[in-house]
Amino acid sequence: MNKRTIEEINEKIRKGDVQVLTAEEMKKLVESSGVEVAFKEVDVVTTGTFGAMCSSGAVINLGHSDPPIKIQHAWINDVPVCHPGAAVDLYIGATMMSETRPFEYGGGHVIEDLISGKEVELRATSYGTDCYPRTRLRTILTKHDLNQFYLVNFRNCYQRYVCATNSRDETIYTYMGKLLPNFGNATFSGAGELNPLMNDPDYETIGVGTRIFLGGAQGYVIGEGTQHDPKNLSGTIMVRGDCKKMDPRFIRGAAFTRYGTTLYVGIGIPIPILNIGLAKKTAIRDEDIKVPIVDYGVPVRDRPKLGWVSYKELKSGTITIKGKKVKVSPLSSLKVAKEIAETLKRWIEEGLFYLTAPVERLPTDTEYKPMKQTEETVLVRSVVHHAVTCREDESIKDVAKRIINQSVNHVVVVDEQEKLLGIVTSWDITKAVAEGKNKLNEIITRKVITTTLDEPVEVASRKMAQHQISALPVIDNDRRVLGIVTSEDIAKLLGRQRNG
Amino acid sequence: MARILLRFPESIVDQPIISQVISEYNISLNILAARVNSQGGEILVEIPPEDVKRAVKLFRDRGITVAFPKLIEVDREKCLHCGACYSLCPAGAITINKEDFSVIFDYEKCIGSSCAACVDACPVRAITLSRELGLLERENEDKKINQEKVQS
Repeated sequence: MNKRTIEEINEKIRKGDVQVLTAEEMKKLVESSGVEVAFKEVDVVTTGTFGAMCSSGAVINLGHSDPPIKIQHAWINDVPVCHPGAAVDLYIGATMMSETRPFEYGGGHVIEDLISGKEVELRATSYGTDCYPRTRLRTILTKHDLNQFYLVNFRNCYQRYVCATNSRDETIYTYMGKLLPNFGNATFSGAGELNPLMNDPDYETIGVGTRIFLGGAQGYVIGEGTQHDPKNLSGTIMVRGDCKKMDPRFIRGAAFTRYGTTLYVGIGIPIPILNIGLAKKTAIRDEDIKVPIVDYGVPVRDRPKLGWVSYKELKSGTITIKGKKVKVSPLSSLKVAKEIAETLKRWIEEGLFYLTAPVERLPTDTEYKPMKQTEETVLVRSVVHHAVTCREDESIKDVAKRIINQSVNHVVVVDEQEKLLGIVTSWDITKAVAEGKNKLNEIITRKVITTTLDEPVEVASRKMAQHQISALPVIDNDRRVLGIVTSEDIAKLLGRQRNG
Repeated sequence: MARILLRFPESIVDQPIISQVISEYNISLNILAARVNSQGGEILVEIPPEDVKRAVKLFRDRGITVAFPKLIEVDREKCLHCGACYSLCPAGAITINKEDFSVIFDYEKCIGSSCAACVDACPVRAITLSRELGLLERENEDKKINQEKVQS
């Protein structure tokens, strides 16, 4: 025997003698008995993953009200839901946030609540037409009141994902979770060797029409996902499934602090072992799957890579970054991923789940391009200006004079080599006078938030807003002061852009 | 080590009670977190288990309220076992089981609201601070718990 077909496997499922292993069990079998034995003995390998998948959402159809409404704007539990279609079809996007409880409750939670059987409140408004005269609507619904309630996720199930860490001297909150300052921790996503797409990296069996475990029910792959990048081992899939049959244990709303809301989606894909190559591919181990360690402290598209790490190291709980041992959090639930692979295995063994052959293969050569931008990103270098400086041994009076003469609000404190030591503002001087302080040393702010010439103005302005400050010294790699950028400069720039 | 929370009322905040207990009664005591001002204060300390009864009595006799805090609550029903909290815990109170990848909390190691790093990192908000330092209104509840603890 050198191959097996989906029909043969389904026949075995019907007869109740199909051999199914989870991806983890398959790896052990191949290790102990070799690929050939594994190919002979195993018909199907089940995989699983349970992670935050932001590009998810549900399509619902409400049926018509009387008098009917052509919904223009709608909210469910105060979460804005898009109105992409005709009159009463809505899309609940996982990342849309409640207008009353933003960052805590969002589209993902609405989907979970509906699946759990809870009541939700729908509000809608419209402009009214001759055929749809109604302009306002408020009603209470459960999933049973909906005609259709389908999960339609346009990017799920990343083959693998990066490991995130943070070089900044402050905690940052990202879609990769909370990242402590100075590489204080790291996070990763995905289930490694259990990840569905990692077990069929050439998309021999996963394609349009592949039946899968989706949120505790049976769903389908409907195409490649957006940003599908199989050449870089970063494939994705688009999936659809009937929410009314799903189990809230495998589909959960979630909130990432200061980032927003999302949906944890449970996906399991059966890989039919059609040939010996697939037996080998499904034996892939965590140590063979490497991902870059990426610095999320640098807010640019191509964030710096600090090295590579395998899922084996990631799952061990500790990795090494810049010679330092740091703890690393999985953001996907590896526990639930295993449960999904085991549940799918049981379904197949019990004849509750039959395999399908794809009706169309997924592309394996897709390019994942960055955005075409027709407006140039403005960098700090185009708004920077000369910084008024002083030395730390100068008197408060001298610095006060400089502030008046040069009519500025910020004086940057530097050493003999023009390296940054601190900053003094006109407010600091005012306060010093009020409190009777004489020494500049006592009023210098030493922990200074800075920027660089090549930082986008957008990023510099976010720093000022976050720290409630109005200027940033511009420094080079050696901390030499090259100038200063103030909120006034940015306001002027925005004014120019609007007028221009 | 056992963890106890000491609450100082305003009237005795100026007295060196902790150093007295350490030096005069030879109890070794590790301060984990402290929040003290002129209105009173709260200090979370670790004490060797064999000294707990003696120390609690010494502190109570000096007018200090002693509580045995459970510093965080984890809603087991909500927890996804994603482990987002694991890498943030400086006290080693959160571990991940290497076999089934379940997330395990060791309440005795948790240092509570002086840290709270895990609380806002939980994507399903399963972790809450149960008895924050600074919430003096919970004192009565604490007293009840203390009595139970010391008696048992």
